[in-house]
Formats: sequence, structure tokens, C-alpha cells
Amino acid sequence: MGSWGSSARCYHRHPLDTVQDPRELIEAYYSAGWTDGLPVVPPSDASIEEMLAAGGLRGDEVIGEVAGRNTVVVADKVAINAVMAGCRPEYLPVVVAAIKGLCHPDFAYHGPASSTGGSAMVLVVNGPVARRLAINSGNNAFGQGHRPNATIGRAVRLIMMNVMNTRPGLLDRATFGNPGKYSFCFAEHEDDPPWEPLHVARGLRAEDSAVTVYASNSLYQVYNQLAAAPEPLLLGFADALCNLGVPNVKGFNQALVVFAGEHAEVLRRAGWSRAQVQQFVIEHACRRVADFKRAARLPGAVEAADETTWRHLFERPEDILIACAGGRAGSWSACLPGWGNKWTRAVTMRVETS
Amino acid sequence: MLDAILMEQQGVPAVAIVTTPFRTTGEAMATSWGKPGYPFVHTPHPIANLTENDLEARADELADAVERCLRS
Repeated sequence: MGSWGSSARCYHRHPLDTVQDPRELIEAYYSAGWTDGLPVVPPSDASIEEMLAAGGLRGDEVIGEVAGRNTVVVADKVAINAVMAGCRPEYLPVVVAAIKGLCHPDFAYHGPASSTGGSAMVLVVNGPVARRLAINSGNNAFGQGHRPNATIGRAVRLIMMNVMNTRPGLLDRATFGNPGKYSFCFAEHEDDPPWEPLHVARGLRAEDSAVTVYASNSLYQVYNQLAAAPEPLLLGFADALCNLGVPNVKGFNQALVVFAGEHAEVLRRAGWSRAQVQQFVIEHACRRVADFKRAARLPGAVEAADETTWRHLFERPEDILIACAGGRAGSWSACLPGWGNKWTRAVTMRVETS
Repeated sequence: MLDAILMEQQGVPAVAIVTTPFRTTGEAMATSWGKPGYPFVHTPHPIANLTENDLEARADELADAVERCLRS
């Protein structure tokens, strides 16, 4: 496996420069252990410089420090991995903001990155940059077929592997992992939202560009084709977030709920605010202590009081993160439960574009 | 593993105990902190669903290994 430990441009350490056949180059990157399993775009000095220039960065600039990993992330290596992931240069500011988010103390990288829970690093992009880069917020927003969605998230995962020392089986101990670990990046649909967009709810201005990084170990699609009012609709979401298999029954959770067009329209027509939706979900995402004890999710024998004592999975309304994305047709929305521990919090970073 | 390394950096003797499947992870963490070969103790996986008595028995089994690490 090739080393990324020094400040030198690692790709030069492999005897790739003389290789003419692209297949050989690609195989060399596999041999070095530098891919996510898919072929990478072999970088060159020109493509790396172009990437850095688009981010307005010097190669030796420190992007972040990974607490608990004794590792510093410098711009040069971010740019190299962005090229490898297939990013266009103009995507780099989003990748950089996402990496800054992962390195933020509130995100507490080591837990969600290393855990058996195998979290995807979900990137929600807001603001002008999302539209300028044509990051998909509509049909198939979580799926394939859109270059920025596919490659920005992929670049973040390659940086995690190659620079932030997060390799499967070593400091990435995912029991299953999930397909979102290849890439999970989408934009919020901001054209006709029921509420202010996610980055504004989290303290930035509407004209700011931003990326919110959030660790989620699964994606659960919630279906309801009959609900025409918020209450019955949102009961399905609350139920999905408090089943007996959720990772953390002790509270302190976060969850990301993404409303697609039909469901967003139900909430908009009813005039519900973001805060009302959040409050309803946290009030109804609860189960009896007895339920958790019968399923051995809490220790101890079931006592009489446990049958009437309710345990809520979320403490604070703002821990229900809400975004709008996905197609206008289809009675689907999505719940993305958090990694399941109070030590990590979603982080929203401004995207600095030059 | 990280806790033990950081505590020892602060002058507090410490021994990391991991379950066996996490030996590679412990070694990787020690290496990332410039301490390849850092001694630690491992025990069969899992431990979260052991009874209190089982856990105490497991601790008794590990005590000698922990002491050896502290003296190494």
C-alpha cells in the first residue's frame, strides 16, 4: 500500500509517470491501495494545479486536523483525491468545506468514521453553489447519474481513506458499511420550499453556499400516499425513527429527514413551520420503557411502571434536521438516522468560492 | 487504544483492552500515533452482552496480562 504520510505528492512516489496505457495507470492505483474499489482518474501536475487554483488554495495549506488520528489534511492531497474521484475543478470548494466539516470538533470524526455502524458521510449542499454546479436535488437525488453528486462525495471518502487514515478493516470497522460510503451528496431543493433552507436554519444566510456534513448509518424510505395533513404523515416518520433496532435508545440522537415533493406540499399547504414539524416528530418518536426492556435494548426486568413510562429518542427539536429534495412525484420521503451517539453532531460549513 | 495512548502522554499509566477482532484496529491506531508495537490486551468478542459475573471473570483472566503491559 502506498504511503500518504509525507508532505510530498504521493502519486509521484509510484513509477507512474512513464506509463502510457491508461489501464496500467489505473491498475497501479489499485495496486497501491488508493482506490475505493472503482477505477480512479490518475492525476497529473496540471490537473492538480487546476484543482488547487479553482479552490484558491496553495498546495501546502492546512485544511484541517483530524482529532484522534494525529493527522493533518493539506490542500495538495485534497486536490489529488478530488482529481482521482473525477471531480471537476469547480467542485473543489465543496469538497474542502466538507473536509473542514469532518475535522470540526463537533463532528468528532473518529467515532462515526471508525465505528462498526459504518456511517455514510452525508453531504447536503445549499445555496448558489448547488445551482451553479448543478448538484442534483430532484429525481433520484440519492441515486446515480449526476457527476457532482457522485464525485464530490466520492472525493470525501477517498480523502478519508487515503489522507485521514480511515481504511476498511483498520480504522474503519464497519460491520456492513452501506452504499452511501462510496458517495452520498445531494443538494437541497430550494426553489419552492415550505421553509427556509437547511443552511439558513443552521445560522447562515440564504445567499451563502454551504455544505452540511452528517453521519448516517442507513437510509429508510417512508411511504404514505393517503396522508393529506401533517399529523398522520409525520407519524410514519416518528415511527421509523424509534423502532426497537435503532442504534441509540439512550437519547442525544440526531436524524435527517428529507421530504420529497408530495410530502413537502402536504406540509406547505397546512402552513406548518420547520419548528412545528420538528416538535411533532420528537414528541412522537418514543416508546414505552417496557418495549425496550422486552427487546433487551435496555437492561433489567420489566417493572409495572415501565409500561407507562415513555422514553423519547430525541431531546431537542433542532436535532431533527430537515431538508427538501427528491422528485415531485411519488409518495416517498426519507429518514436517515444518525450514527447513534451524542458525541457526533452535524456540522454546516460555508463554501468559500473565489 | 487512543485513550490509553493519550493518558500515557499525560503521565498516567494505562493499558488498552480491545476485543480480538479489533486487534488490527488497535495496531493501526498505535501506528498512526507513531507507536507501532504498542502493547495492549485483547479478549474474545463480544463483551456487551455478558452478565456482570461473566465480566468479572473476564477481568480476572486479563489481570496478569494487564500487569505485564504496565511493566513493559
